Amino acid sequence: MKKGLLTVLVALSALFAVFGLSKNTASASEPNYTITSDATYAPFDFQDKNNQYIGIDQDLLKAIAKAAGFTVTVKPMAFNAAMQSVASSQADGVIAGTTITNDRKAVYDFSDPYYKTGIAWATAKNSKIKSLSDLKGKTVALKTGTAGAEYAESIKNQYGFKITYFSDSDTVYRDVINGNSVATFADMPVLQYTIKNGTALKVQNPKDPFAAGDLGFAVKKGQNAELLADFNKGLAIIKKNGTYDKIINKYLDAKAETFTGSAKDNSTVWGILKTNRSAFWSGLKQTMYLTVVGIILASLWGLLLGVMGVSTHLWVRSLSTTVIYIFRGMPMLVLAFFLYIGIPALTGTKISAWSAGILTLVLNEGAYTGAFVRGGFESVDAGQMEAARSLGMSHSRAMRKVIIPQGLRLMVPSFINQFIITLKDTSLLSAIGILELTQTGTLIVTRNSQGFRVWAIVAMIYLVVITLLTWFSNWVEKRMNA
Amino acid sequence: MSEEKKVKVHVDKVNKSYGDNHVLRDISLDVMDNEVVVMIGPSGSGKSTFLRMLNLLEKPDSGVIDVDGHDILDPKTNINKVRENIGMVFQNFNLFNNYTVLENITLAPVQLGKMTKAEAEEKAKELLETVGLPDKANVSVNSLSGGQKQRVAIARALAMNPDIMLFDEPTSALDPEMVGDVLEVMKRLAKTGMTMVIVTHEMGFAKQVANRVVFFESGKIQESGTPEQIFTAPKNERLQTFLSKVMHA
Ligand SMILES: Nc1ncnc2c1ncn2[C@@H]1O[C@H](COP(=O)(O)OP(=O)(O)O)[C@@H](O)[C@H]1O
Ligand SMILES: [Mg+2]
Repeated sequence: MKKGLLTVLVALSALFAVFGLSKNTASASEPNYTITSDATYAPFDFQDKNNQYIGIDQDLLKAIAKAAGFTVTVKPMAFNAAMQSVASSQADGVIAGTTITNDRKAVYDFSDPYYKTGIAWATAKNSKIKSLSDLKGKTVALKTGTAGAEYAESIKNQYGFKITYFSDSDTVYRDVINGNSVATFADMPVLQYTIKNGTALKVQNPKDPFAAGDLGFAVKKGQNAELLADFNKGLAIIKKNGTYDKIINKYLDAKAETFTGSAKDNSTVWGILKTNRSAFWSGLKQTMYLTVVGIILASLWGLLLGVMGVSTHLWVRSLSTTVIYIFRGMPMLVLAFFLYIGIPALTGTKISAWSAGILTLVLNEGAYTGAFVRGGFESVDAGQMEAARSLGMSHSRAMRKVIIPQGLRLMVPSFINQFIITLKDTSLLSAIGILELTQTGTLIVTRNSQGFRVWAIVAMIYLVVITLLTWFSNWVEKRMNA
Repeated sequence: MSEEKKVKVHVDKVNKSYGDNHVLRDISLDVMDNEVVVMIGPSGSGKSTFLRMLNLLEKPDSGVIDVDGHDILDPKTNINKVRENIGMVFQNFNLFNNYTVLENITLAPVQLGKMTKAEAEEKAKELLETVGLPDKANVSVNSLSGGQKQRVAIARALAMNPDIMLFDEPTSALDPEMVGDVLEVMKRLAKTGMTMVIVTHEMGFAKQVANRVVFFESGKIQESGTPEQIFTAPKNERLQTFLSKVMHA
């Protein structure tokens, strides 16, 4: 039993190490750069019906890299995470429909502008709102960190509207269509693309965008000068040879169906499920993988914290209490960002999103586990320990042979509960760009704008998995009590 | 006491306080080899605290405790080794809930390397025979009655081959009809020459088995002597009051 557990632990640590250390494998001759990108920003960045990341940004980047002689590993994630990853040196550059602003210039160095854009504002298709002054007292939905959001903030007091934020575009559009908010501000091409794709919105200023500006590729200020120079070089080449125009036209003139699949496939649950079968499946696999590894490591860590919590040494007990206090008190999302973006920014060492995700799960779920494990041990009658000690057993032997087995039995329901929470919590890791089930849902919705159906499918998948997990746990519990 | 006897337990001037509550005050007591000492006294007088000090389940604030020639308050003493020779029986049995009756008895001897598993099981079966529960070896402890549990607890303590046994009110948690069986086992144990220190409210049993009776009151030994001295000619006034209460209860 003990040996088996040890073997599992060692195997997992090895696995953990391999994934944790896996870096971009640079090809021999050309430099390879890790570039982050927005995962949900059509037509600049999105997934096509075959789950490939495409869009103006993606195609331009590829063409530029080829022209200038470098290779890229693209990491799609949420816009803010994409920007932050570069600021914290987790990645070399970011191409995410980023507007060049003075604020951003303080943190990033930008390439030559690669696209002219401006801010559009849109309402629901049949909205009565016609001018900005109609927004008085109403709510405007915005995507966090975008130029559209920045512009809306700047005129918010002038026009007297309120603001609500979301981290992905589709949720913003849904919010407007559903009437929770009345309008949104975003980059003109982005809004036009999603409307072409069937989103029931209407651009109010198609002829005269606000705050016309430029999109740029960015690196961290003062770093990767060579990459930036190469990007500019490549951009000049593809502008000259016509590749640039071809790419822009491909996205802005083509019918949306070219990228998203036929309307028929996108308008029924079954069609969506069929079209995105492999995406859902790989998302589910990633969710299960995170859950299983997370549960095992968090349980081991929690057990250790729990055992430390009933140690005879005061300092060991205090250590356990402190660790539990800190990580139970910290919102999981904050912890994930802190590990993925905060720590590397401070220390300069990169950590993969997957490792940061697992570490987040282990620290957070492990703290909850530690608390109920300690509680479980403490609820074992003190007489059990006294009896064991009176026979001459040491404290640790008494713990192992008498207290821990009895405590564990009391904890089984708490463990099952924690397993289910862990499964659900993996969805939060979509925020640092891990492509698990929830993130998969977000990507599909960006492409096909079928929020209701896609989220219904995702919810069903979670329910099925949770049901299976519950059955399995109950089976284990029965066997333990037999 | 004409023949020279070995001192098994030597206690000198121990004190113990819980906060302001001075529970044991300068207690000294020697227990001889093969002796049965019964401790009586009102509840809260410090009997349990004193008994639990003999195997260091409680630590005194000051004083000397020697068991089998080991100074158990010396940090260099391996208390686990000393405890192997001191069996303890608790008021609430404290049988290990995660083991069967047999496993309860064999756990410590096997774990502590005193016996092989086979030897321990052999011994456990003998002990179950002696305490009158030969057919309960493989049942879960939760299926036993209180009296049966306490007899298993005695067998568990005896499995380590201790040469001192401590009993803290072993029959107080039992239904009256169960008390006799447990006392019977203890009487037989006393006859084998086991050194025993017993806290009990069973005065009849004390009269029968004790070589010496010790009366505790307010954290002090107020009087000690043979059962006849204590029960028929008590000198201490508080002892007289105590006896008049328990005898008429
Ligand atoms: N762990 C403890 N903490 C605080 N007070 C205690 C503790 N154990 C015993 N006491 C107190 O010590 C006194 C003696 O208790 P005890 O030795 O159990 O008496 P007895 O066994 O004679 O009934 C009582 O006043 C009791 O409340
Ligand atoms: Mg007591």
